Amino acid sequence: MNLINYHPRASLSRRRRIVILLTGFIAGIIFLISGKTAVKYTSSDDYCKSCHVHPFAEQAWKLSTHYNNGSGTIVHCTQCHLPPEGHGYLYAKSKHGFKDLYGYLFKDSASINWEEKKLLENAKGFVYEESCKKCHQNLFPVTLSVNGGNAHLFYTTSNEPLNCINCHLNVGHYDRNALHAHDTLFGVSAAANKEVFAQPASVTEFKDFTENIPGTGVSFDMVALPGGTFKMGSPDDEPLRKNDEGPLRKVELSRFWIARTEVTWDEYLAFFRATGSQGRTEGQVVKMKNVDAISGATPPWGAPDQGWGKGKRPAITMSWHAASVYCQWLSKVTGKKYRLPTEAEWEYACRGGSQTPYFFEGNPKKLTSAGFLRKLLGPDTTGIGSRVVYQVNSSSKTKESASVKPNPFGLRNMSGNVSEFCLDFYSADTYKSDSTAVIDPKGPAKGKEHVIRGGSFKSDARDVRSASRDFTKTKPWLVTDPQMPKSIWWYSDCIDVGFRVVCETDTLVNH
Amino acid sequence: MQNIDRRKFIGKTALAGIGLAGAGAIITSCKRNDDKKFAGLPPILNGAPKGKKLKAGLVGTGARGTGAAINFISSGPDLEIIALADLFQDKIDACRQRFDSFKLPIPAENCFVGFDAYKKLMAIPDIDVVILATPPQFRPEHFLEAVKNNKHAFIEKPVAVDPVGIRSILTTAKKAEALGLCVVTGTQRRHQEDYIATYKQVLNGAIGRITSAKAFWNQDHVWFREREEGWNDMEYMIRNWNNFCWLCGDHILDTHVHNIDVINWFMGKYPQKAIGYGGRHRRVTGDQYDFFSIDFDYGNGISSHSMCRQIDSCANSTGEVIVGTEGYTNCANTIWDPDGKIKWQFEYPKDENGNAMNQVKIPPYVQEHMHLVYAIRTGNYVNEAEQTALSTLTAIMGRTAAYTGRQITWDEIYKSDMDLGPAKIEFGPVDMVFETPIPGTPVTI
Repeated sequence: MNLINYHPRASLSRRRRIVILLTGFIAGIIFLISGKTAVKYTSSDDYCKSCHVHPFAEQAWKLSTHYNNGSGTIVHCTQCHLPPEGHGYLYAKSKHGFKDLYGYLFKDSASINWEEKKLLENAKGFVYEESCKKCHQNLFPVTLSVNGGNAHLFYTTSNEPLNCINCHLNVGHYDRNALHAHDTLFGVSAAANKEVFAQPASVTEFKDFTENIPGTGVSFDMVALPGGTFKMGSPDDEPLRKNDEGPLRKVELSRFWIARTEVTWDEYLAFFRATGSQGRTEGQVVKMKNVDAISGATPPWGAPDQGWGKGKRPAITMSWHAASVYCQWLSKVTGKKYRLPTEAEWEYACRGGSQTPYFFEGNPKKLTSAGFLRKLLGPDTTGIGSRVVYQVNSSSKTKESASVKPNPFGLRNMSGNVSEFCLDFYSADTYKSDSTAVIDPKGPAKGKEHVIRGGSFKSDARDVRSASRDFTKTKPWLVTDPQMPKSIWWYSDCIDVGFRVVCETDTLVNH
Repeated sequence: MQNIDRRKFIGKTALAGIGLAGAGAIITSCKRNDDKKFAGLPPILNGAPKGKKLKAGLVGTGARGTGAAINFISSGPDLEIIALADLFQDKIDACRQRFDSFKLPIPAENCFVGFDAYKKLMAIPDIDVVILATPPQFRPEHFLEAVKNNKHAFIEKPVAVDPVGIRSILTTAKKAEALGLCVVTGTQRRHQEDYIATYKQVLNGAIGRITSAKAFWNQDHVWFREREEGWNDMEYMIRNWNNFCWLCGDHILDTHVHNIDVINWFMGKYPQKAIGYGGRHRRVTGDQYDFFSIDFDYGNGISSHSMCRQIDSCANSTGEVIVGTEGYTNCANTIWDPDGKIKWQFEYPKDENGNAMNQVKIPPYVQEHMHLVYAIRTGNYVNEAEQTALSTLTAIMGRTAAYTGRQITWDEIYKSDMDLGPAKIEFGPVDMVFETPIPGTPVTI
């Protein structure tokens, strides 16, 4: 949606605000006196629409199945956005009412991030499960498909809490990009009329190069990083740090190449097209390290790009396993040694020679949006705004890498856009176990979850610091996947993770 | 009809119970509690009640199907079989002949042959009830078609052969519930008065807390067909369905599911996982095992040892045993204390000489149809599809544990994509390999 040209409401003059505030008070008193009538009046669609002028809310509703359907039924605003009576109706109504009134009086609609509010985790705050169930009493109509039956069985038997909107997010407000099916055509349409590379890049010396994926028109830049020494982690006095970032330790790294940007959809789809498999069992053969017959990802459910577009945006929602198979495949087709970066390589690359919280100047305390004061004054975006795609400037979507300035090593989006898989297993006390100088560390030998680094478009400034650590969360990221075993290729419930590749030097260039 | 959330429903019932006790209805509360505790148990009837004439169609006219149809018409007044469907003309003819001999002829125009015969039968608007008694491979699609055509159903056990089929049955069961269509399944022990009486004893604490169980169906070899000239692959396999896993599900489903279902019923839950073994020594045809021995783990250290075998001249018997902290039971009619002294025994009716008979008055195969007709005619809704589907799934979990040698969890088997059989079911050559499963080799769950 085009937010940029949309200015629905100029900010109000002070006098008008006071008048509206007074009106509100009077309305409040009338509300108390007239009770039920007022509740009814303030629950009408027209009343909602009088304030809720945000982009296309009304149009999207009218195009949705909750307005535009064969039965002629119209589902009204409050039938979804408030719980039914007897399930905390009045409490929710006053809670949302106060919040809306506050927003109406003191906020500029154009400055609110409506796209972010549409995300599943936020939508759960104002779409009520009980309300869905009040109308949708029969989850098993005779016409229900096999897939629908499986999904509803999963819903009724799951031990984990599931919401209707986990799967049916766009039923109340139409989104033409949303898909509620297996995307069997995913990645099938190849880019037209582009030069197709017959050979991979030939590399004989240690300097930046552009890799060409043979058989496709896709290429990407690799940046040569000379070996060096740096301090990994954050000092105890770094604002907003977490304990797993310490103790600070000296790390020595050999040279390596690292991709200038996160792996794009163009790159990932080249892999998907070349190796896509129909069934999970075929895919599992990969575990046997049979690189001659790499069998890749199955068709995803729904739209993994979230309908934001593919191309040069970073590829997202693939599993760590899928990312690592991608590297195996890329190595095979280019004759080089590609893999995920180790955590140390990643941080070294991200810092770009800096030992400060960010690779640019900035104090996490000032840049963060958390905390009462920051909420009131708004976060400082100097420096960070042009270099990192994060919560404040992302419109809750990934962006193409060209939209930000690079770090001192010439790398883009290390700190934001999407979180990136690392090779290492995660452990909160990785650094503790060896706090003296270490050479080319590879993390714990065993573990369950893998390190992810760099914040994402969802992150606060606190979590895009160079030292900030996080890890994969396999179970919650697959909670709505009804298969067993669950997909090894796609996360059903994580939309802000991707990866970038590194290339080892030893096989190509002699020291 | 509302789709009642079961967990909530139980919660509310419990709350209502507390409310009643609080109101001081203490004297009657014992009786009420019993009623509540035993709610959902099938009624024991001497015959189905009078009511609107019910016309039934039989799908699968082999020996069990014909038997079930006869059980149906003998369960009460005004019950008729008016249509037949089967894959083979000779099976139809044999069944029609039998009904002719009862002077209850079935019109020729209502008899259908072929893979789509069931669709033609279910399209007859007059039919109120269908009896589904084909090999279990076909049950899921037949059941769905029945519900789509608004028919009440009696469905034979097992109800499917693989998890894809089980989920289809579970979904169709919910669809039937939403439409108010009654479903009774062929797990007849649940309709047997002696079993029900024993179950009530156990529920009232007669054996204390359940600590372990065993279930067994050990018998002589069962029927098989050698291939005859002129039979193509498909015809041969279906005529010999009892010996092919994709049609039958193996005998751990076909027969042992009865015992497994009793254990699940008495335990009040389903096992969390299974480990087991099995093998094949004696069989002549097909791809199935001769024996299974499965440990079903119900959690908290409680297991049921499930065994079944089809080999002659062995220690053969069938039944169930459940052991508790204060005694044990055969589930069928007797409770013993831990020292082996009989604590309680079901009183069987007496014959004309005043001697106790060793079985209930009404055969359970008829009793189950009485229940179905009773439910349809009185509006006391019944739907047993889910419980039998989950007991069949328990058996599938055990079978898979034995075939693969692996531990199989409930979650894994519940969501498995296992879908046995050829992609297209039609007469002609079948491109399938029938190897007897070897534990420890890689397989798809």
